[in-house]
Amino acid sequence: MDPVTTLPVLLGIAWLVPLASFTLILLFGPRMGKHGQGAGMLATAAIGTSAVLSLIALFFVWVPAYDWAPEHHAAHAEHGAAEHHDAGHGEAGHDDAHDKDAHGADEHQAEEHKTEEHKTADEHHDWRKPYVAGEWYTLGQFGKLRIGISYYIDSLTVTMFAMITFIATMIHFYANGYMHDELHEITDHEVTLSNGHHLHRPGRFHRFFQYLSLFCFSMLGIVIAGNIAMVFVFWELVGICSYFLIGFYIERKSASNAANKAFIVNRVGDFGMIIGLMILIATLGTFSFGDIDTDGDGTAEPGIFSLVRTEANNYALVVPDGMVRAAAASEIAAGVEPSAEQIAAWRAETGPGGIGRTAYWLLIVAGLGIFCGCVGKSAQFPLHVWLPDAMEGPTPVSALVHSATMVAAGVYLVGRFYPVFTPETLLVIAVIGCITLFIAATIAIVAVDIKRVLAYSTVSQLGYMMLALGVGGWSAGMFHLITHAFFKSLLFMCSGSVIHAVHTNDMTKMGGLRHKMPFTAYTMLAGCLAIMGAGIPFMIGLSGYYSKDAILAQALSFKASNPQWGFLFYVAAAGAAITAFYMFRLWFMTFAGKPRDHHAYDHAHESPKIMYYPLIVLAVLAVVVAWPFWPVSIVALLEQARPEGFHETVNGVLVSNLTHPAEHISHEPNFHIQATWVATFVGLSGLGLAIVFYGLSLLNPAEVARQFKPVYTFLWNKWYFDELYDYIFVRPVLFVANRVAEFDKVVIDGIIDSLAMLTRMVARLDDLSDRYLVDGFVNGLAAWTYATGSKLRSAETGRIRQYVMFIVVGTVAMFVLISLYIS
Amino acid sequence: MNLLTDPVGITHYLIVGAILFVTGAVCMATKRNALGVLMGIELVLNGANVNFVAFGSEYLRPGVLGIGLDGQLIALFVIILAAAEAAVALAIVLNFYNNHSTVDVDRADELKG
Amino acid sequence: MEPINWHSVFFLVFALLACGFAVAVLLTSNIVRMAFYLVLSLAATSGLFFLAGADFVGAMQVMIYVGGTLVLLIFGVMLTAQGPFISMKTSAGEWTLGIMVGGLLLAVLLQAATSIDAWQPQAVIEGDARPTATRLGMGLLGARVDKLDEVDPVQRGGMSGYLLPFEIVSVHLLVVLVGSAYLARPKKRAQNSSWEGLK
Repeated sequence: MDPVTTLPVLLGIAWLVPLASFTLILLFGPRMGKHGQGAGMLATAAIGTSAVLSLIALFFVWVPAYDWAPEHHAAHAEHGAAEHHDAGHGEAGHDDAHDKDAHGADEHQAEEHKTEEHKTADEHHDWRKPYVAGEWYTLGQFGKLRIGISYYIDSLTVTMFAMITFIATMIHFYANGYMHDELHEITDHEVTLSNGHHLHRPGRFHRFFQYLSLFCFSMLGIVIAGNIAMVFVFWELVGICSYFLIGFYIERKSASNAANKAFIVNRVGDFGMIIGLMILIATLGTFSFGDIDTDGDGTAEPGIFSLVRTEANNYALVVPDGMVRAAAASEIAAGVEPSAEQIAAWRAETGPGGIGRTAYWLLIVAGLGIFCGCVGKSAQFPLHVWLPDAMEGPTPVSALVHSATMVAAGVYLVGRFYPVFTPETLLVIAVIGCITLFIAATIAIVAVDIKRVLAYSTVSQLGYMMLALGVGGWSAGMFHLITHAFFKSLLFMCSGSVIHAVHTNDMTKMGGLRHKMPFTAYTMLAGCLAIMGAGIPFMIGLSGYYSKDAILAQALSFKASNPQWGFLFYVAAAGAAITAFYMFRLWFMTFAGKPRDHHAYDHAHESPKIMYYPLIVLAVLAVVVAWPFWPVSIVALLEQARPEGFHETVNGVLVSNLTHPAEHISHEPNFHIQATWVATFVGLSGLGLAIVFYGLSLLNPAEVARQFKPVYTFLWNKWYFDELYDYIFVRPVLFVANRVAEFDKVVIDGIIDSLAMLTRMVARLDDLSDRYLVDGFVNGLAAWTYATGSKLRSAETGRIRQYVMFIVVGTVAMFVLISLYIS
Repeated sequence: MNLLTDPVGITHYLIVGAILFVTGAVCMATKRNALGVLMGIELVLNGANVNFVAFGSEYLRPGVLGIGLDGQLIALFVIILAAAEAAVALAIVLNFYNNHSTVDVDRADELKG
Repeated sequence: MEPINWHSVFFLVFALLACGFAVAVLLTSNIVRMAFYLVLSLAATSGLFFLAGADFVGAMQVMIYVGGTLVLLIFGVMLTAQGPFISMKTSAGEWTLGIMVGGLLLAVLLQAATSIDAWQPQAVIEGDARPTATRLGMGLLGARVDKLDEVDPVQRGGMSGYLLPFEIVSVHLLVVLVGSAYLARPKKRAQNSSWEGLK
């Protein structure tokens, strides 16, 4: 099958099926089966279809068409890139432990591919990241700028599609069980009406699945989008879907507040994204990622990536001509197109105040703008505050938001836009990620709401991803995104199962539940081990083991290149320990020990099959998904999508001594082995602490909390972020709004009221004039006519003879008059 | 002028017509008897007829073509219409008499304002 | 002394008769007498018509007016001439008013009749009187034989005859006679049925 023609169709259908489901449920939802039960089946079937199509696209189209083996790249690197760069790491970079395993398992096949690939490589002369880009539909063309529904499919897209649709399918199945209550009339015990009763409302089962379908559609839209404008549109769609779903229990004050908070905080990030978009549109004149032949002349118009990293420059970052021109706008006479040499000369002016530096700043700001959007969507510091509150939504939504969709969108976009980020931008990303991961991890230690612990864990893990991306570990970050999606969705669904059983989120009321709900308990244990990154060093591990190792190794490699930024590695390592600690704290508090609330414990029960079967599937996948022994390993797939220009070490321009080491360096034994040991050690130490505190109860956590009271309070209040924002933003805004409202009430309302009074007075005058002048005139006329008629009446005697007399007199009078006037 | 020796002109006829007309009009105005009023009408019509015939006469104004035979024709129509009018009026008077048992037109004042 | 103009003399006689009996009609209060005087007045008028050369119209005047219309009137007089209605007196005030108004009208008319020079007496043409009956008959049938030798094209415009008015008048007369016969038909009862009959 030809991937160029097949993939857009397969993935396009996979993308649109949830939209169809959304539309159908929107139109016919309440009439689907009993109480809209059919809506759940329809949505599940739709996303299941998407999943099947995505998996077909991955395994039967993408993989056979492109050799996925690491040697693939190595061969090309040798052939093309290696001529310009250190020949050393072309081959060696991929000889790490994982790839050795893969190599061993599949050596024969790889050899065959190698020869074949050499041939194709000869034809293409150079290695290029394989991707399929094109346009389905053009929405409009404004001068050079073209906005359309286009696609950009590379290995990352296909992998993300498979991951998102698969996890979403699991969550749909799960939600069919979890949202069962919504099939009937519901009494919401958390909402008390003004009359003291609890809110009683009809079930909203179908609406839940309607939003869920739209959510999936929007997320897939972001992933498949071929231009940044389309990404933005679906970005906002994801935002509005999350708003609907977080505010699903809209009658609860906390839920509607959380939905508002999520939406507003995201708007803050999107504002930055719009700035980035404006810079790109103004300077590059295109939104497209890849090269698409839009005007049909046979040659593809360069997309953003090609403009930033030109083939001529061997994919190293150059400031695009458009930005140089924009920076040199004052130098360029109107209507005169500067020559290529002139632009090159300007670009070279990188000294302070030089045009080249301004242009470079433009590039940085564009990248930071896009990253701003990602900060909002992926809940990075300082916009991380919405994610924990988003727990107000039903648990399947949390699972979806936290694993495959919303927050993944931010990380995905950073990964997708990676070629445009300068080393300086990447450094900002790394620092933000680092801060986020630490803050969130520390807060998770003290949280007692089971979903909140997981929420902060998500924030922390997202910080990890950003950190990895920021320090140059592109594939490490994306790898962690995918593995994290599996185990985080698993963890959330397990927590949902627990909540379903005990009807509370508070971990202090749980305990010992593993006897009651073994499936949930042990699948969650698998999830906890996966997120902690458990494994036997250099032998085998759960999915988190591989991805977290890769991140730590890259951070270590970065530390070696930039000793002044070494804290990034230490914080990441500390974060790993904290992760292990709070995850097992959660597990022990929930499932181990003695039940703390016997009432809840006695009522607890294992969830229905439709809920724990997905748990088992996800648990198995959380364990095995990252294994490098598979014929198609995720790392290999991701390596294929690695942005051009990031196969080599890159240096910063503005910040001195900033070096982003190529990722394959981190696979070298000196970093890799060290990182693995560190990860294992910190993970085990965190686990050990958790066992000491909660598993064996050797130490009383309450006592420790008392001892470190200030720290505990600080963490308990989530670093006072909400209070800080409340003071910095909310209260001033409220203050200003109150003043404005008072102004409105006093001045504007006053003006309007007095205007109304004036109008009333005028109307009253008008009324009077109507009544006495106009009516008086009309009535007077009528009365006069009546009086005249009454008087004339007496002339009508009804006597013929008199009439004859009148005729005669009239004739005479006329004669007299006429003779008087004529003569 | 001497009426016995001078020729007669249109003026003379007009004077006769005027007298007949005025007599008829006064008759209509003063008679209380409905038939008297009718007779007044006949007189008025007759006076008008005299005028028409005089204007159409080729003897009274020799050499000048007046309205010619048209005058006589109109006079004829007037006579015919007078006859018709007399018949209808008589029928009305008889009805009035049947209903009111009188022919006094002053009693027919149902249309008094 | 000029010779006596017999035309003028006859005119004077008929004019005095017509006016005198007309005044008599006005002055008498007896309805039967009024009818009688009217007959005489109308007959005298027909004499004036003959003097003006309108022989046919004069004949019609005698036949239709005197012979037809007045007979009709006299029928009416006889049908209603019961005691109190034969002579109904008019009040003196009304008389005064009527005479005054009539006098005014007469003054106006006389002033008009005498003020036009072209209407003053002219020389009388000597010769045979030409009968008008044939010409009138042809005119009623639509052929104006009296205007055949007219030179003035404007005058010849009056070539159209009176066929249509003649027909209309005929039908009118028929309708009127039928209508009057209906109105005057004998009633069974005095009050109600007659109103119903009118409806």
